[in-house]
Amino acid sequence: MSARGSMSAGKSLDDSYESQTALSVSVNGKKIGTLVADRLLLSDFLRDRLGLTALKVACGEGACGACTIVIDGEPARACTLLAAQADGAEIVTLEGLNAPDGLNHVQKIFQQQHALQCGYCTPGWLMTVYSMIQRSIPPDSPEVAQYLSGHICRCTGYKNIWTAVRRALGAEAEELKSAEQ
Amino acid sequence: MTEKIIDTATPPKRHRYMGEAVLRAEDQELLQGRGGFLADLAQPDAAEICIVRSTEPHAIVRAIRKELAMELPGVIAVLTAGDLEFADEKLPCVDMIPGTLDVRHRVIARERVRYVGQAVAVVVAVNRYVAEDAAALVEIDYESLPAVTDAMAAMKDGAALLYPEFGTNIVYQVTQFDGDADFAARDGDLVIRKQFTFHRQTAVPLETRGVTAKLIDNGKRLHVESCTQLPQVLRSALAEALGLSVESIRVTAPRLGGGFGCKEMVYPEEILVPAVARTLRRAVRWLEDRREHFASATQAREERVDAEAVVGPDGTFVGLRLSGWANIGAAFGYVGNTPITAMGAMVRGPYRVPNLDSRMHSVVTNKAPLNVLRGAGAPQAAVVMERLLDEAARILKIDRAEIRRRNLIQPRELPLDRGRTGFANSYHIIYDEGDYPRCLEAGLKLAEYENFESDRHAAAAHGKLLGLGIAMYVEITAVGPYETARIVLRPDGTVLLFSSIMPVGQGSETTQRQLVAEELGVSMEQVAIRQGDTDEVPEAVGTFASRGAAIGGAVGRMATRELVKNILNCFSALLKCDSSSLKWEDGGVAISGPAEEHVPLSEIPSRLASLKGNLEPTAVEARFRLEVPKPSYSYATHIAVVEIDPETGAIKIPRYTVAHDCGKIINPLLVEGQIVGGVVQGIGAVLREQVVYGSDGHLQTRAMMDYVLPGASDTPGDFRLWHMETPTSLNPFGMRGVGEGGTIGAHAAMANAVADALRDYDVAVDGSGPFTPTWVMEALEKPL
Repeated sequence: MSARGSMSAGKSLDDSYESQTALSVSVNGKKIGTLVADRLLLSDFLRDRLGLTALKVACGEGACGACTIVIDGEPARACTLLAAQADGAEIVTLEGLNAPDGLNHVQKIFQQQHALQCGYCTPGWLMTVYSMIQRSIPPDSPEVAQYLSGHICRCTGYKNIWTAVRRALGAEAEELKSAEQ
Repeated sequence: MTEKIIDTATPPKRHRYMGEAVLRAEDQELLQGRGGFLADLAQPDAAEICIVRSTEPHAIVRAIRKELAMELPGVIAVLTAGDLEFADEKLPCVDMIPGTLDVRHRVIARERVRYVGQAVAVVVAVNRYVAEDAAALVEIDYESLPAVTDAMAAMKDGAALLYPEFGTNIVYQVTQFDGDADFAARDGDLVIRKQFTFHRQTAVPLETRGVTAKLIDNGKRLHVESCTQLPQVLRSALAEALGLSVESIRVTAPRLGGGFGCKEMVYPEEILVPAVARTLRRAVRWLEDRREHFASATQAREERVDAEAVVGPDGTFVGLRLSGWANIGAAFGYVGNTPITAMGAMVRGPYRVPNLDSRMHSVVTNKAPLNVLRGAGAPQAAVVMERLLDEAARILKIDRAEIRRRNLIQPRELPLDRGRTGFANSYHIIYDEGDYPRCLEAGLKLAEYENFESDRHAAAAHGKLLGLGIAMYVEITAVGPYETARIVLRPDGTVLLFSSIMPVGQGSETTQRQLVAEELGVSMEQVAIRQGDTDEVPEAVGTFASRGAAIGGAVGRMATRELVKNILNCFSALLKCDSSSLKWEDGGVAISGPAEEHVPLSEIPSRLASLKGNLEPTAVEARFRLEVPKPSYSYATHIAVVEIDPETGAIKIPRYTVAHDCGKIINPLLVEGQIVGGVVQGIGAVLREQVVYGSDGHLQTRAMMDYVLPGASDTPGDFRLWHMETPTSLNPFGMRGVGEGGTIGAHAAMANAVADALRDYDVAVDGSGPFTPTWVMEALEKPL
């Protein structure tokens, strides 16, 4: 019954019991060099070892998008990768996009459109929107639906998420991009 | 939506918040990923628990060997039923009326397992990885028994019995009558008989369950944190199960990542994990993974209902005769009999149907326990009534809107007693204020019902099958029996509300702060809220049945009124003045007479202190207990338009319309969010989602990949919404509930729309489907 390591979300592996690998990774611009257990999931590494709990583990199999982060510019699912697979990578999590005081521009759009309810899936959506803005995806592109199809939201019914995403990708996107830099 | 949006950062000058589209305060933390969900809370001292679950649908447990698991480095303990002591192993169930057989769920399996996923043993280890390794090493000898998964099969002679001591799998029966239960068809009456099937679903909140437990206050008290909609209920259940006083237990619940009824339960793990903490005298944590969730969180909806309707030649319904059976799985959920009871109670919705004979049953099978899911049994009830109306309209050749007009209860007939229910407290359903005909007409107009036939022809020209479905419902909301709240004016001049309503995503932090700020006439920034702690609110009912905003909001606002009274009394005593020279005005105390002045809220604590000659600012506190003898009844019209692509069997929803009345609205932005979200859950339910067990009792939908949830492309293309606001006299502020209605209406409107789109095919749309592309393609092979 227990799916081995599929969604551990527990405390980090106690290394004394495990075979380990050296990991060198950049997370939100910070260089990290450490040893990790071979089988430690990237989601557990980020949440438990680094305390970056914005990403959520909800399905444990890459089906819902709640654990989405950006690895080397690509949106990726942290729950189906091993930490060791991120060796040499540059990772961005939601913590890396948070404004020092209050909400960033995309977050404000989500609030204004009431595009979240329980908020558990929200960090994942924000990471995908960030990637789409980086790639200058236009709001009316058929690619938008493809990006959004990787996420499950159980509360909102998606209507307000669509509106928020289109706003973020629309006239305001260029402004957002320059604000990021 | 056209409402004026209010950002709390720049509040309106006059501090009026009731009915305003205030942006949510909780979004600040949630959008930055700082929601503080249970799995996010650091527990550095807690050992991790993995639960060993039954792999057998039905079996006798002959032996459990834990030696191999114990030997694994990092394992702290492996515990089975024999290692744990309980004062009472049975979990609470609220709807056990006289005659009900006691099949309450148990904390942990002893001797017999009754479903795949049932807790059999507990592994405690230094981390979850090791705990899962060890769980796989726990050896259990099962002696398999025949399993039964179908309720109708479980009632046959010779069926496998889950509880042989009772000699039957039928464990609950409830009858409900109204009018003349012996009604019969007269000459010229139409009799319609239909068999409805509702499939098994599950809530799938994005956040799974989780429990942490530790001893506090030098080991004298137990602190349990759980993802629950019912912290106070859990505290009582823990006291019963562990033989402790309620005072020695603190239950807290953080923000929930969705509930939908799945967390309106007292679960085995919520007792088991604290029991392990007490046995080992150390902090422990269990975080459920999604596979465990599919196997052991409660499931919902599965029912079979046989209906007979007698309809006069003009389309007026004379009576309904129903027999139904809920497949409740292996044991009672906390409210496991509620959905099938709601069938009899609410099937007639807004329609007169003077005579009712309803006989409902719960049947146990080797599946996970059933409980409520958004709407409880009301979605099924609405499907039965609305499908019968469409069938009568078709046979009698009456327009579908017209047959509804002819059956609707008129405003002058309200309030209306619909008879005594079979719920445990056997209250009467008494519809409160409303205007159902107006709600129907508003929906028809907004949906452009009159143009639909031309839309249908236009779509047919492009090879698409268009269908329209109308559905109405009346929903029990804002249930009692009471709720409590406490509010404090703190020394710093801000107000803190202690609320028993859990934040599950519905925006309760914002709506309750709106109501307090409205009452005081101050900015929402001056009002804080704390939720989900039994030390702060020991006595409360909980968050379910669309009661959070209407009842939790009302009690918070009533407590605020008490606070104002207490503040005025303080001033009256200290100033030695008559209370008539004091009043609450413009966010503070207005003192009239020679010493005329206005003391704003923020300065009250320091002013009271100086009047007393103290240096420390004075806090003022108030409590309120709101008695809620009767629920109130929200209602709505839903009109779904579906488009079927005969090439693929895919169903799209180009237009969806809702006209609804939940009484006075606190925040239209959030009401819209609840309705749209609820509708899409209903759409997912009838088009996609299904929990599947093999006939051998093995669960086949074990992960999110197997259970297809609605995605972004499933949202209706054009969503139209109209609010009616008829205040209810049953609530001090005229508010009813709105959290579940979207899901209720969507089941029935979608079923009727699918049936309408397939009207030229020989297919029964009697139940909840799911109407998957495969189902559609099979239907299209059978033209009439």
